[in-house]
Amino acid sequence: MKSVKQLISSAWRALFGDTMRAFGIVSVILMLTLAIAPAKDHFSQWHGYQNGYLAMIRERGDAISLRRRFEPGIQQIWHPEIGVVDRCETCHEGLKEASLADVTTQPFRKHPVIPHPLDRYGCTICHRGQGAATTVEEAHYSKLAGVDPILPARYIESGCGQCHQNALTGTPQLNLGRQYLAQYGCVNCHMVKMPDGTVMKATDDPPSLEHIADKTTREWIFTWLKNPQAYAASATMPNYKLSDADASDLSAYLISSSKPLAGDVDTTIIPAAKNADPSAGASLYGESFCATCHAVQNAAGNLVGGDVGPELTRVGNKVKPAWLQAWIENPHSYDAHTLMPHYRFTPQQVATLTGFLMSKSDSDYSTDVHLGTATAAQIAHGRKLVAELGCAACHTINGVKKPDNFAPDLSQIGSKPLAQLIFLPGMKQTLPTYIASKIKDPSAFGPGMKMPLLPLTDAQRESVTTALLALSERSQTMPEKLRIPGVHQTTYEPAGRAGKLMADLACFSCHRINGHGSDLAPDLSLEGSAVQAQWLDSFLKNPNTLRPALTRRMPRFNLSDADRKTLTDYIMVAYQSPNIDPDKAPPAVNPPALVEQGRQLFYSKYACQSCHTANTNTDKGYIGPVLAQVGTRLQPAWIYAWLKNPQALRPGTIEPNQNISDEDARAMTAFLMTLKSPGKQEGKQ
Amino acid sequence: MPGKIDKILEQVEQSRVWRSIFRSGRGTSTLHNALAIQQSVFLHLFSTKVRKRMLSFSSTWYLGTLTLGTFFILIVTGVLLMLYYHPSVPQAYADMKDLQFVVSSGLFLRNLHRWSAQAMVFLVFAHMFKVFYRGAYRAPREFNWVIGVVLLLITLLLSYTGYLLPWDQLAYWAITVGSNISAAVPLVGSKIHFLLLGGNQVDANALLRFYVLHCLILPLAALLFVAVHFWRIRKDGGLYVHQSEPKKAGAVDETELVKEVQ
Repeated sequence: MKSVKQLISSAWRALFGDTMRAFGIVSVILMLTLAIAPAKDHFSQWHGYQNGYLAMIRERGDAISLRRRFEPGIQQIWHPEIGVVDRCETCHEGLKEASLADVTTQPFRKHPVIPHPLDRYGCTICHRGQGAATTVEEAHYSKLAGVDPILPARYIESGCGQCHQNALTGTPQLNLGRQYLAQYGCVNCHMVKMPDGTVMKATDDPPSLEHIADKTTREWIFTWLKNPQAYAASATMPNYKLSDADASDLSAYLISSSKPLAGDVDTTIIPAAKNADPSAGASLYGESFCATCHAVQNAAGNLVGGDVGPELTRVGNKVKPAWLQAWIENPHSYDAHTLMPHYRFTPQQVATLTGFLMSKSDSDYSTDVHLGTATAAQIAHGRKLVAELGCAACHTINGVKKPDNFAPDLSQIGSKPLAQLIFLPGMKQTLPTYIASKIKDPSAFGPGMKMPLLPLTDAQRESVTTALLALSERSQTMPEKLRIPGVHQTTYEPAGRAGKLMADLACFSCHRINGHGSDLAPDLSLEGSAVQAQWLDSFLKNPNTLRPALTRRMPRFNLSDADRKTLTDYIMVAYQSPNIDPDKAPPAVNPPALVEQGRQLFYSKYACQSCHTANTNTDKGYIGPVLAQVGTRLQPAWIYAWLKNPQALRPGTIEPNQNISDEDARAMTAFLMTLKSPGKQEGKQ
Repeated sequence: MPGKIDKILEQVEQSRVWRSIFRSGRGTSTLHNALAIQQSVFLHLFSTKVRKRMLSFSSTWYLGTLTLGTFFILIVTGVLLMLYYHPSVPQAYADMKDLQFVVSSGLFLRNLHRWSAQAMVFLVFAHMFKVFYRGAYRAPREFNWVIGVVLLLITLLLSYTGYLLPWDQLAYWAITVGSNISAAVPLVGSKIHFLLLGGNQVDANALLRFYVLHCLILPLAALLFVAVHFWRIRKDGGLYVHQSEPKKAGAVDETELVKEVQ
């Protein structure tokens, strides 16, 4: 102890005993201290990476050209208008070097090919992270408020969604995520205001429950509420994990609040014809293209059919026969806004189809559920539950108003500060993890959490998370010129008798006209300029497919002659292209020499037969529509205009624009107009 | 060799140019030394003579001098920081990031400024405690104590106004809270609040006001009061002599210990 003390005091004397010496020592210490800062600059992390990069390229074949393009020092992408100051390229030197495709060590990997030049928008706009930083830790994993850590690569498509409100072919995950937000009804409760100012609308079409007692039983409602996916695997209704008592009370309220449908609905069941063909129901189901919209689980457990309407695997367990019969007869009398068309079946067909569908039932489903008469207390509690769970946010329910802003606004969820989130113990504290976990199991975040469990797979959850991350603060503040608005439905409604008829036939459930409707079937906005009236009339009478590669899905509606005429006349007059003048059209009948010239051009110069079939005996093109009867289907003016520029008439069509000269187009139009249906040709002869 | 250097120095000091700048002339007499202090605009603030005892560490702990030292460090680093800093909302935080990541030794500069500021506040308090507990505020030094209190306030205000300039979350909320305290003053509270921020909330105007206060008004005020403070040390009879220890019989009279200091 004493010797230590002596040692220290002698060292002190040696160093600071003399004034001059002390001054000198202190000066040296000060010099060394001041040297630390420039030394830290010189031995900084990015210097090390740049040296590493130089060492790496030295070994490569194209070392000289790589070395020439290498720029030492801090590199920066600067776009003040979008708030980008990205110094990532200081370490990620090889991002733009195509020849470094085989390099796998970071930070020297080449960036995958993307549609934008790399320095057009910088890095952090998609990848997040702190662009201004020049150290690994600060750039990628900063915990500062207002700085996002680097985004895991699996959510990277959210970056695209900040500007692109439309669906891009390169972002399947983002597109699906947005679709799910609408399809699973997330946006019924949550407000999602897109950066272009539009509010996302749900597409799940939740049924109105105003007349639910007409349609189904309390027992079915109970079983459905307990687990919707047990009834239909594809059901988008979330699972609220209700107790037996709650489900029973809810069903009691829904049945008791239901009002019988106004008007006299015929409840007498039409008996199916006794000697009916047992397969008649199945074939009518097939002929009417029910599977275009409705799915049924097959023996292997796979869903076969579309997802526009509800799954019908166990529909016999659900609906009352009388209701089903009335529904098939005319769905609009139960639900005026249904996407299902009014098929105009004959009473016999209705009976056949009702019988066929009622047979689609599962004898094991909800057999042991027996609910007695509901008490007033049960009904009152059921009503309370309806309000608490926000049932009316999706469904129309008698006696309960649709709640406004039932769930939190998600319009800027993609930039929600971490300080505002409550994480579960042991959870990775990042925004993507939080969103994905919340969707996966909302009830884990507290017993008071009202959000139900959505029937999503892991991949679907990842998509939804991607779509939500795209709703960032940055997406809201993006300059207007960088914003690509989404494609939104217009409110177009055709007027008059034809309009009423089109609503009745639910044309817009498949076709799009003037920006309104679905894209299941061709856009009909210019149909009046395209087709001949006679053909349209006969097509409505008996539809057939135009494309051999596609299954026909246009159903036959048993329209009366008058209805057909109304529709045809309306379409021919109302849906005209402003750019096609029928008066200046090439003539429908042409001299044989011109026809022959057109044939030559069709087969040799433009080789149209690679995609189209003009002669069913010789041609094998199946990509485009069959043209064997195009002369009876299309108008010459349309054919001519189409040949000149297909994309002008139907944006995005895959038919190439071959810059066909006026003369050639005229000749080919003449040739195509001679391709008539055999019936017509015989008639002429 | 050393003789030669001395000769050259002597020649320089006797040259006309040197004499025109330093009027006291060459010499080691008491008069010469006193003139050297008196005739320099910077040094004449100080006493021409100081008791040797006062220069020992134990008498003052050098707290005032150290405070002045940190103040000079703050001026130098502050001026350098001003070369990189724009007091505007879109730029202020980005400039902090540039200083941290891009400017050579920028982080060192910032940290030196910050730590010196912390040290200065600490030293000012320590200096005042020392003065207080030793009774150095008593007559004839009452007025210098008052100036010292003003300097304390200026130091605290400098510290406070500098806090907003990084324009990060900490700064923003600290100033929001701080300015709301001023709003609690009866009657004129909201007016003071408005005057301080140049608006009703911490925004571009507040940033600019705080910048001007921090870089111009408050430092100039501090320099002025520091000058008065030093001048008053001289006028109030030099550094305070500690007399609490009883005089020992036969001890050497203190006046004999007086030594000229240049």
